[in-house]
Amino acid sequence: MKKFRTEITKGEELRYISHLDYASAIERSIRRTKMPVAFSEGFNPHMKISFASALALGVTSATEYMDVEFKTDVDLDEFCEKIKQELPPGVQLLQAKPLEGKHQALMAMIDLATYQITIPFTGEFSAVEKAVAEYNQAETVMYTRYSPKKGKKEIEIKQYMSQPVKVNQKNDDIIFDVVIDVTPAGSIKPGEVLKTLVENFAMPIDVAEAFIHRIGLYSGGKTPIEL
Amino acid sequence: MIKLTPAVINAVMKPARYTGSELNAVKKDHANVDFTIALSLPDVYEVGMSNLGLKILYQVLNNRKYVAAERVFSPWIDMEEKMRENDIELYSLETFTPIREFNMVGFSLQYEMIYSNVINMLDLAKIPLLTIDRKAEDPFIIGGGPCVYNAEPVADFFDFFIVGEGEEVILEVADAFIAWKKEDKIGGRTEFLRRVAMIDGIYVPSFYSVTYAENHMITSVQPLCKEAKPVVTKRLIADMDASEFVTNPVVPYIDIVHDRIMLELFRGCTRGCRFCQAGVLYRPVRERTPEKLLLLAKELVDSTGYDEMSLTSLSSADYSCLGELVSHLMDTFQEEGVSISLPSLRIDSFSIELAHKLQQVRKSGLTFAPEAGTQRLRDVINKGVTEENLEQAVTAAFQQGWTNVKLYFMIGLPTETDEDIIGIANLAQKVVNLYKEVKGRRGARVTVSVSSFVPKPHTAFQWFAQNTEEELARKQQLLREAIKDRSINYKYHDSKTSFLEGVIARGDRKIGQVILEAWKQGAKFDGWSEHFKYDVWMDAFKTCQIDPTFYNQRERAQEELLPWDHISSGANKEFLMREYKNAVAEKFTPDCRNGQCSACGVCTNLNVKVVDWSREV
Repeated sequence: MKKFRTEITKGEELRYISHLDYASAIERSIRRTKMPVAFSEGFNPHMKISFASALALGVTSATEYMDVEFKTDVDLDEFCEKIKQELPPGVQLLQAKPLEGKHQALMAMIDLATYQITIPFTGEFSAVEKAVAEYNQAETVMYTRYSPKKGKKEIEIKQYMSQPVKVNQKNDDIIFDVVIDVTPAGSIKPGEVLKTLVENFAMPIDVAEAFIHRIGLYSGGKTPIEL
Repeated sequence: MIKLTPAVINAVMKPARYTGSELNAVKKDHANVDFTIALSLPDVYEVGMSNLGLKILYQVLNNRKYVAAERVFSPWIDMEEKMRENDIELYSLETFTPIREFNMVGFSLQYEMIYSNVINMLDLAKIPLLTIDRKAEDPFIIGGGPCVYNAEPVADFFDFFIVGEGEEVILEVADAFIAWKKEDKIGGRTEFLRRVAMIDGIYVPSFYSVTYAENHMITSVQPLCKEAKPVVTKRLIADMDASEFVTNPVVPYIDIVHDRIMLELFRGCTRGCRFCQAGVLYRPVRERTPEKLLLLAKELVDSTGYDEMSLTSLSSADYSCLGELVSHLMDTFQEEGVSISLPSLRIDSFSIELAHKLQQVRKSGLTFAPEAGTQRLRDVINKGVTEENLEQAVTAAFQQGWTNVKLYFMIGLPTETDEDIIGIANLAQKVVNLYKEVKGRRGARVTVSVSSFVPKPHTAFQWFAQNTEEELARKQQLLREAIKDRSINYKYHDSKTSFLEGVIARGDRKIGQVILEAWKQGAKFDGWSEHFKYDVWMDAFKTCQIDPTFYNQRERAQEELLPWDHISSGANKEFLMREYKNAVAEKFTPDCRNGQCSACGVCTNLNVKVVDWSREV
């Protein structure tokens, strides 16, 4: 088999690593397996690996997906065994399967992402519940995204949220479950939802304290590895 | 254990500088080891992580089961602010242990402009800044690296220094500590210092008293106890093949300054450039065999997964078996896509051929260092490069397709005249013209990068009076006017930084209070131009009533007792004096590795020899 799809994690050890640095770390792991990974042609060849969705710095993940291509036929079990030994601290291989024939690019197939956000909290929980309820009821919610390259941009964020935000209290934490649609036109980040809840709906939490964790990525209700 | 909350870490740039857990990082339970040490280069993570010496010590120490060696670097300004705000102590990247809980903290002192960071780190670690204030439970603060050859300006802050190459002596220090610990730390800190003072290469500054004359000149440096040697001589590795090398380096997640494998070909450089401190400190040349290097290279590629390897040394192109080694490395790693690079080039066509071979596709640009603009001045500094050498090298480079050439020069060298400054412009123009001759059209891009010469201890120019800032500024301007061609890009360094570097480099113990005062007034990251506070430093000199020009702008007499005379690189002072005379006489001293000994004294004093594998077939 020449191409595999893998399901991997981004653990606590790697929380503060950017997507690009995460990808480089995986790339070096694959190099260390000494398996005949494929490279692109050209002056500046790069390893033929691709990811489903970039994960922001500060966010961990239970399930990331990566496709990897080889120059020659490679045994899936052998690959799994070797890569497990070489992955950096914080990355685990959960599943892998061969990819046959034509298939959609990972990046293009994802239409849904789910997150769990944990924030230490000792205040009045009902105030949080109220803000979340108001947010869920709102037809439209505007968010202003600032980017050093693209400048200021107004985004209507409810268009990416077909499911309501859920919130629960557990010991000294509050836990949000956030489901976000990923569309060809764009999407929104879980941190941006949280910020909006604080800024537009007066939710009494400190966004800077949030631990954001991606739970799943889906395409038509299935994970890329189930497809 | 120090815990970082998202509120802290989300608020700083490049948080991975502070979170550790990199591949090959070694985490040990401190309860199961006999000795713990935090290794540091007191600069930001990306700089500190690029230092080869630190990587070697980290592995050598951690190879011992009974030792835990961890890393700590200077938090950047934003992180420091957060740490002070939240009362977070300086911690190690492996186990997040507060630095003051380690048995020792080792600082690699690579450049003088980083001293204020050492103080700042001690402060962040809540360790008393001065050795005299440290108590039984405080760690020993130790220093290593090129700056310890004149460690006097920071003598008050360090318990002891390791002079020379550290990979053997650090283990002797660890063993001495463990023995002392097993004896219930008998005699306290002083007893331990007495014990390490007896180890070759260890300098305990508090065991020496320095006296001064009314005119501020040093009159004596006296050992205060029998364990303190009158002269501390450097340690070095005689057999590079037999020495432990780093094969399992920590691989960072973020891009660092040298984000690649470093394969150390050899130590030392005996070309004898008279301005160069490293050329004296690391004598003699000791090469690894190509066979050993190939083995090390394979281990490094296997353990890191890096796709780039740099062949590092003081002058890698001088490695006697370079052609053979490069061919073998390229053959071995071609399949895996590992590229090989040379950090510096010699000015000759052999180097160009090699560079061409290494960079088959991308021709990023070539860098040469003629150092001076005229043949006369190059003879003064013993830079054995002629205009013809440069012409040949540049011609070869243009023929091979390069268009970008960077030329490094210094201004403020001994005997320098305006003619020498204009010579820099002429040389750059010659390179531009050569391109036209070779290619039949214009199109070369030549960068002239000019730094201001800082005389360093243990060199032939250690007695030389550094040019004043006004003189340097005049010369910089003179050169600017002399450069006529628009395809020459002219860059020069801030002379204020060179001024301070010049003072501290040849400073004595009195400079310590100035460093402390400058730090109190906010000096840190002085090597970073955006943070360098020249006025703060000048105020600190005033407050301490010390005239900085006494240290850098005074031609010193040959018979003067220099602050660093009790630290020896193995080279005799007479050799350096002779070389200064030869410089003024414009007399060339050949490279000793080719058989003509220039009697520097290193081989006889240290009982070592030049190891050059081309001669030992």
